[in-house]
Amino acid sequence: MLASSTLKRGEAPYLSWPEWPTGGAAARPVSSRAMTEDASTGTGTDSPERAETPAERTARFERDALQYVDQLYSAALRMTRNPSDAEDLVQETFAKAYASFHQFQVGTNLKAWLYRILTNTFINTYRKKQREPLQADTETVEDWQIAAAGEHTSSGLKSAEAEALEHLPDSDVKDALASIPEDFRIAVYLADVEGFAYKEIADIMGTPIGTVMSRLHRGRRLLRNQLQDYARERGLVPSASSPEVSR
Amino acid sequence: MSCGRHHQTPCVEVLARVYEYIDGELATSDCATVKQHLDECGPCLREFGIEEEVKVVVKRSCSDPAPEELRAKVLLRIRQAQLELAPEG
Repeated sequence: MLASSTLKRGEAPYLSWPEWPTGGAAARPVSSRAMTEDASTGTGTDSPERAETPAERTARFERDALQYVDQLYSAALRMTRNPSDAEDLVQETFAKAYASFHQFQVGTNLKAWLYRILTNTFINTYRKKQREPLQADTETVEDWQIAAAGEHTSSGLKSAEAEALEHLPDSDVKDALASIPEDFRIAVYLADVEGFAYKEIADIMGTPIGTVMSRLHRGRRLLRNQLQDYARERGLVPSASSPEVSR
Repeated sequence: MSCGRHHQTPCVEVLARVYEYIDGELATSDCATVKQHLDECGPCLREFGIEEEVKVVVKRSCSDPAPEELRAKVLLRIRQAQLELAPEG
């Protein structure tokens, strides 16, 4: 699919980083610069004095951005939950990123920039219109804290519960992550797998940091409950300590 | 909410920062406060341990390598985009 969508430069506002410093020469002129024919000579000339030729830009894009194919695919797979859609999403992301690469500010975070395009492409292209009842479960921060404080065990380095989670197979963890609402899932993935800072996740998802924290909080709470259910189903949790209180 | 014993920082305040703590988003001074609490509060320590384990297993389990041919497909898309974007003439 989507092989022939026409690309226009600078079509989407999220492709630039409004909140990150943009120097005067940020958007290098693309206009009618002579095309040097040999795109193959990807010499990494970083001379800031003269504008980059399209061939040079292509070479630079391929040199700097293509290394993230694996990581973006993995993220795309978590988003779409489907290998074929994930491949399409990654290709679309790179096509868009390439078309907007002149807007990317050298010296800023290319990986985060690519993730932002990936996330937006996913949201705009793949996200179904379903309204997830995100508000349904009222924000009672206390419930898990009650559960937590109500049980007294531990003292060793790793509690039985933590150890049980550690022994879960990868497939259970993937399933659990796939089971939580999309926005939570993306935030958790970006924080845990990619190790992005809250500020970066906020930029990638286009939300305030407070929203990121809320998504992480609620997503992880759901995730943890799901994982603990799996651990119980697999008999990994000693029945004595299986916490019925947690929801 | 508390574990029943008195702490300089109440359990509820510490537990509210658990994610910022494990994500390395707390300022150094807050970090020290949390650490001190965890040193003297078993239930909170256990709670932090579970949350940290969730983070660890997600990182461990949720990365998948791309299919071999994806890189070539991406390159092809870039070439197509290159042609579409090339100035006429």
